[in-house]
Amino acid sequence: MAELRTEEFQVNMGPHHPSTHGVCRLVLTMDGEKVVAVEPVIGYLHRAIEKICENRTYPQCSPMMDRFEYVTAMSSDYVYALAVEKLAQLEVPERAEYLRVIMLELNRIASHLIFWGVTAMDIGAYTPFLYGLREREDIIDLFEMTCGQRLTYNYIRIGGVSRDIPKEFEPKCRAFIKKLRGKFSDYEGLLNENPIWLARTKGIGVLTPETAISYGASGPVLRASGIDYDLRRDDPYSIYDKFDFAIPTQKTGDCYDRFIQRLDEMKESLKIIEQALDGLPEGEIKAKVKPKFKPPEGEVYSRIESARGEMGAYVRSDGTTKPVRVKLRGSSYNHLALVPEICTDVLIADLVAIFATLDIIMPEVDR
Amino acid sequence: MGLIDHIRNLLKGLGIAGKHLGRHAITIQYPEERMEMPERSRGIVVLLSDKETGELNCTACELCMRACPTAAIKIVTHRDENKKKHLDVFEVDNGLCCFCGLCEEACNFSALKMATKYEFSTLGADELVWDVNKLQEVGRDVDYVDTRKKKKPKPEPKADAKPTAPKPEKTDAKPKPEQPATVSEPVNPAGSSTEEKVNEEPLPEEQERKEEKKEGGPTDGSV
Amino acid sequence: MSCTVIAFGELHGIFAWLHELPVSIGLPDSVQAVVMYAALGVTVFSVLSLFALFLVWWERKIAAHIQQRFGPMRVGWHGWYQTVMDALKLLQKEDIRIETRDKVVFFWAPVVCFVAAFLAYVVMPFGKGLIVADLNIGILYIMAVTTFTVIALLMAGWGSNNKYALLGGMRSAAQVVSYEIPMVVSLLTIIIYVGSLSMVDIVESQSGWFFNWFIFRVPFGPIAFVTYIIAAIAEANRTPFDIPEAEQELVAGYNIEYSGMKFAMFFLAEFVNMFTVSAIAATVFLGGWNGPFLPSWVWFMGKTLTVVLLLMLVRWTYPRLRVDQLMEFAWKFLVPVTFANLILAGVLKYLGYWE
Repeated sequence: MAELRTEEFQVNMGPHHPSTHGVCRLVLTMDGEKVVAVEPVIGYLHRAIEKICENRTYPQCSPMMDRFEYVTAMSSDYVYALAVEKLAQLEVPERAEYLRVIMLELNRIASHLIFWGVTAMDIGAYTPFLYGLREREDIIDLFEMTCGQRLTYNYIRIGGVSRDIPKEFEPKCRAFIKKLRGKFSDYEGLLNENPIWLARTKGIGVLTPETAISYGASGPVLRASGIDYDLRRDDPYSIYDKFDFAIPTQKTGDCYDRFIQRLDEMKESLKIIEQALDGLPEGEIKAKVKPKFKPPEGEVYSRIESARGEMGAYVRSDGTTKPVRVKLRGSSYNHLALVPEICTDVLIADLVAIFATLDIIMPEVDR
Repeated sequence: MGLIDHIRNLLKGLGIAGKHLGRHAITIQYPEERMEMPERSRGIVVLLSDKETGELNCTACELCMRACPTAAIKIVTHRDENKKKHLDVFEVDNGLCCFCGLCEEACNFSALKMATKYEFSTLGADELVWDVNKLQEVGRDVDYVDTRKKKKPKPEPKADAKPTAPKPEKTDAKPKPEQPATVSEPVNPAGSSTEEKVNEEPLPEEQERKEEKKEGGPTDGSV
Repeated sequence: MSCTVIAFGELHGIFAWLHELPVSIGLPDSVQAVVMYAALGVTVFSVLSLFALFLVWWERKIAAHIQQRFGPMRVGWHGWYQTVMDALKLLQKEDIRIETRDKVVFFWAPVVCFVAAFLAYVVMPFGKGLIVADLNIGILYIMAVTTFTVIALLMAGWGSNNKYALLGGMRSAAQVVSYEIPMVVSLLTIIIYVGSLSMVDIVESQSGWFFNWFIFRVPFGPIAFVTYIIAAIAEANRTPFDIPEAEQELVAGYNIEYSGMKFAMFFLAEFVNMFTVSAIAATVFLGGWNGPFLPSWVWFMGKTLTVVLLLMLVRWTYPRLRVDQLMEFAWKFLVPVTFANLILAGVLKYLGYWE
């Protein structure tokens, strides 16, 4: 039988495509259903946040950070605040640190809930998406009650937090923790053991530890590949060293592991929030910051463990009220670089699953 | 895992979906029902009026304009013969506003608040620019805690205030225990007197440029 | 045609009247049959079109309630005629036709899809006496015409001149052809038992209480039912086998370039297909119109809608299979199982197990 002549063809997946979260364009070279090569094209969501910051005073940069990574805006607020605090050597009151940790971990859970739902939806199960957002809504309500916004919080400021938590925050937060713990059985029952889900995720998009390290992967993606590395423990910032929590890791680094990794991390975050609520001290919530805030000359890099991985902020000051340079590091950028590496010779459906489980958020890539 | 396990797990998923089928919806039907916004919710910027006289609390100090990171607030003032500042124009461009709340925190006179209102959609972008009358009118029914220092013996600023009420200590600039009751003097706690002159009639963009020139330049090396 | 009243609310009088209509108004013999089938066709077609609209609404409601939402609530009580308004809206929409399309194929694809979806109802026994034509090859006919859909989807995929659409069309061809086999073989097990291909015969041999339904009555019934349902979901292109239009992969698959009423035709045909496969399941496995007290068509509808509900639950719960896994599942699991089942049925029949 004569060899059938086949031809590769190119498909533009995005910038408007249901499964490229945000506006990412993937140029796929395909051989029938098989993806031969992927080339991500970025820049569709570029808002020049770093440049805008150079024209704003230090406190004015804070709302910009909310837009840097809007799914976990608390983290991006915090990483900037941490950098400026390092620069100005501000002492942050203890209560503020506790509040920050509570908010950061709540935000991590919110982000992972979105991940859980969106991944399920990308693999075809629609209902989990709504369930994930349902629980996230409670977290958002807690945030709104505290800082007044549901997405761009602008809560964590230079020197502390913008407002103290209201009285009803603590009972509501504890009720939420209890509720979410009860929901995990639903989550696990819907997908974790579902044979279709296993077939779609097990052994798909395996990310070896070596590749992960060489591409600078971090966060849940790295830990799903079996590398036990978490900045909250290995380079403790804030007051994370006071809490007792485990760093879950997985073994193989396939889509299923990355999926389970986030579920495990949510449970650990709940523990941290509980401990923080228990140990919440009284006191000030914000260090004294002069109205014309001028950190001394110098440069600093701060890094934290956001929901997606290592998030960093580099701030250089020349002693005026405005930063000379702000550079943000988003882990999604590194994870997007992984896509061409691990998406060769997969089917288009696998590509969607891999893209979803890497949990790439385009604003973090483009900034 | 055997076939039996697979079937059991598939049925478990169906069971969870079926379980939710009988539950009540958690969403609400928006225009008929509305969510109760929390007290602190940051919605539209409104101008507050004095509870007794009904006049604007605003003293035209321009602190909010300077705090705004997106130059959404435009203030034009003039001085009368007593060197007292008067408000000519106060406009908020809701299309530019990023709802960060920095203006509310910068305000020391309970003149401006981000109310819990959130419906301001219009058919045109220019209608999103609200002038002082509109801002005042929208803010008429907004409850607030008056933190201004009055001639009255004790305004009890925050002791009995609701926990959710905006507290003055969050504004980094809280430097005015010696603040005169009547605003006979132009108030600019953050700036020096030179700055006042510079910002006589500042458009937002203009002012930004000026500030940049003044502070961002390498000449101003004093820390 | 004689008719005796069985229970209050039976509708077969209408069908009988329609059957006799050309004769009673004195039309010449040569056109009697044409007029009769036209009248019946129009009746069934309009009822089913409206019913498909209802199914769309129902699916949206079911999905919403699984997800703890309301779903459509605006027009009418709980939005009951929302889909009618949607259809009207789609009718008014511009029919966007891309320049590079294959004009003939692009135009005819939705038509073929829509017509093929309704063809099966010629032999569908909606109730006692409620059947357009009781063909003696009824179920074979259904199997034959439901496969028409795949031609339409391939036409849509090719005619659109779009890579996503083409992928969707190719996927649907592969899928429908593969799942046709287990579907037919599942039904064959029952046909072996009944000894007739006529839908009416199949239903009538299940008369009596529910233990006479084939799903309970014969040892291979439950397995045949499950394999049929799995194959039927694939036939109807629904999750977990909705790869031809997999939203997250192919955006909308074969109907990506269609808009307006052409899209609505694809959309309605999908729901009609879902109803078809459920109706076959109800007829062949669940006793069709048989049931006590209530009119026969109510039983038929009730059973069909129960199967539809099951399909909806499945759709909104499970993730989607990958294209190669889908084929593997069909050829490596479903086909062997159904054939083993068929052999079992044949052996039992030969041994005279149930006579």
